[in-house]
Amino acid sequence: MLLSSFLIVLIVLFGHSEDFLGTTLLSRPLVLGPLVGLALNDFSQGIVIGATLELIFMGNIKVGAAIPPDVITGGVLGTAFAILSGKGPAIALALAIPISILAEMVISGLFVFRPVFNKKFNEYAEEGNYKKLQRLHILSGLLKPVLMGLITFLALQLGATAMKSFLDRIPSWVNTGLQVAGNMLPALGFALLLNLMYNRKMAPYFFLGFILAAWLKLPVLAIGGLGLIIALILTDRTVSNPTGPGDEPDSTGYEPDNTETGASGPGGEKTPALSGNTIRHLFFRSLALEANFNFETWQNTGFAFAIIPALKKLYPTKEGMSRALKRHLQFFNTSPYGSTFILGITAAMEEQNSRDKDFDEDSINSVKLGLMGPLAGVFDSLFWGTLKVIAAGVGTSLALKGNVLGPVLFLLLFNIPHLALRYKLTFTGYHAGTRFLQKLAQTNAMDKLTSGAAIIGLMVVGAMPATLMSVKTSLTIGASPQGIPVQGILDQIVPSVIPLALTLLVYYFIKKNIKTTYLLLGLLLAGFLGSLVHIFA
Amino acid sequence: MIKLTRIDDRLLHGQVAFTWTPALGADCLLIANDKASKDSFLKLTFGLAKPPGAQLQIKSLTETVAFLKDEKSAHLKILLLVTSVKDAAFLSGQVPEIKSINFGGIRGKEGSRLISKAVAITEDDVVLIKELLAGGIELEARQVPTDPKQLISTLI
Repeated sequence: MLLSSFLIVLIVLFGHSEDFLGTTLLSRPLVLGPLVGLALNDFSQGIVIGATLELIFMGNIKVGAAIPPDVITGGVLGTAFAILSGKGPAIALALAIPISILAEMVISGLFVFRPVFNKKFNEYAEEGNYKKLQRLHILSGLLKPVLMGLITFLALQLGATAMKSFLDRIPSWVNTGLQVAGNMLPALGFALLLNLMYNRKMAPYFFLGFILAAWLKLPVLAIGGLGLIIALILTDRTVSNPTGPGDEPDSTGYEPDNTETGASGPGGEKTPALSGNTIRHLFFRSLALEANFNFETWQNTGFAFAIIPALKKLYPTKEGMSRALKRHLQFFNTSPYGSTFILGITAAMEEQNSRDKDFDEDSINSVKLGLMGPLAGVFDSLFWGTLKVIAAGVGTSLALKGNVLGPVLFLLLFNIPHLALRYKLTFTGYHAGTRFLQKLAQTNAMDKLTSGAAIIGLMVVGAMPATLMSVKTSLTIGASPQGIPVQGILDQIVPSVIPLALTLLVYYFIKKNIKTTYLLLGLLLAGFLGSLVHIFA
Repeated sequence: MIKLTRIDDRLLHGQVAFTWTPALGADCLLIANDKASKDSFLKLTFGLAKPPGAQLQIKSLTETVAFLKDEKSAHLKILLLVTSVKDAAFLSGQVPEIKSINFGGIRGKEGSRLISKAVAITEDDVVLIKELLAGGIELEARQVPTDPKQLISTLI
């Protein structure tokens, strides 16, 4: 028991270290569940519970500074107690939801507290002491994993025995009810996703995804693949605009007038002073962008931390370093997935500044601040709105069957494109800078990309009620043993119609501005009561 | 029709493009900002962040008033974005249709205090806020549409 609770604390520490590891979704229940399973000698149960929790928290996204319930602490503890008590996914759910809401409050508290260090950061910047600044960024970043690890440890030490005897006392009818209720909850996750992606124009893709999954029983990966093909065909057709083809940034040899932008981005005539190695360092350091997130200056120290390798090369004097550090301690917040592009551009501008005495230093921050919002808009929707949805759809559909490929594919599908693009963008930002953006704007590439992504995402979401939710009715027509099961009739007309109807119903309520907490409780109650009176099973 | 008036000093970014626009069903993002309306670099970047299916207008405050009063804008579902309480107060004074203002994000600066997770206001803002409240305008803080509404009157 001591060893396993030690391992569980380690898993929470690991999950919360994601802020140092590039927001790579390592902390999702789909990934941490199996780890908890390993720690408690029930790997396959861990995979299934992780997938179940992933479904419920699917619409739970982190965008901007909006902090969702802490699925790390809640998910890990819920999974652990469920495995220890042998009660299965329903109990994991019942525990994970309240724990994650409580844990979120602790984390919000930490984000309010962290600005206390800002004075220290500014002092170090004033001294030009980048080493101390780096160290404080890391130390403050470690507060979150350590704090949450400590809370998990206490919860396990103080609560495990009591929790186990409490869970043992739960009668089996309550457990069955919870299970049915748990099966209904994904409808909320799907509806929240729909709320982000659905509109009348895109509706056919949602239903196409549903039909492919419900009648043709296609796996989610296949539906995602079909979506990709449809998106490619459709967006290609809309490309035929007068500016001509050219998604590829380097293919057309287009050289726009650089002076026109007002923002003097990295200009043309220069040999880059920063080596490829330095730029690579910017990428690696960008992975820790969110480590010291706080509610006053957001990712500012993360940005400073990431740009330091470039500053070290460019500003040998204490004075120059100090000015640069102070510049980069200004408020900053963007999507971590596109952050490297801004880092690259900033590095190029810092380089110009270090050479040219007349360079307008303020322009560095105005470009940074100008880019951070819009790029966050682009990258958050691509990565959270599409790629994460597809990866989670594929991953959970496999993991629900206890297949370890589920979590593995989930991480690969998300992170191969993520890390490849993030790496490449560091160099694009440094070498091409704002010229790259102008080209993007000219070719309409962004529009194509986002609308293509929306098609794939919505098809996958459409497949979800059919593949990932199992709510059935146990009603029969006529007296019981001889009666005709209603579910059988439904299956012949529209398979998975109950999950679909539930999802659309919840979506309707979200549109009517009903609070998500009420919807959550409503679904739980409907499932629980429905199971008691034998409507749902 | 104005679906939402939002104060957000990052104007168009993740929360706006990717949660508010679809949740409101907005088909026109209207950025009302004197600086952005003259800055071609900002215009370029906002153009990239524009969600598909919505048009983007970047106008100065006075142009915004004219645009909103124009018949032609009546059929649009507009998400109106400003950077400051001051700009929001100005617009609400000119455009009676603005009955409610969403406080999305205002970063902290010298002399401001945090009243909710992402909103920091100065004493000058408080004066404007009180005037707006006295004028019967609803003021609420939410970062994303699924957040619970926090009324500004209870926060200051």
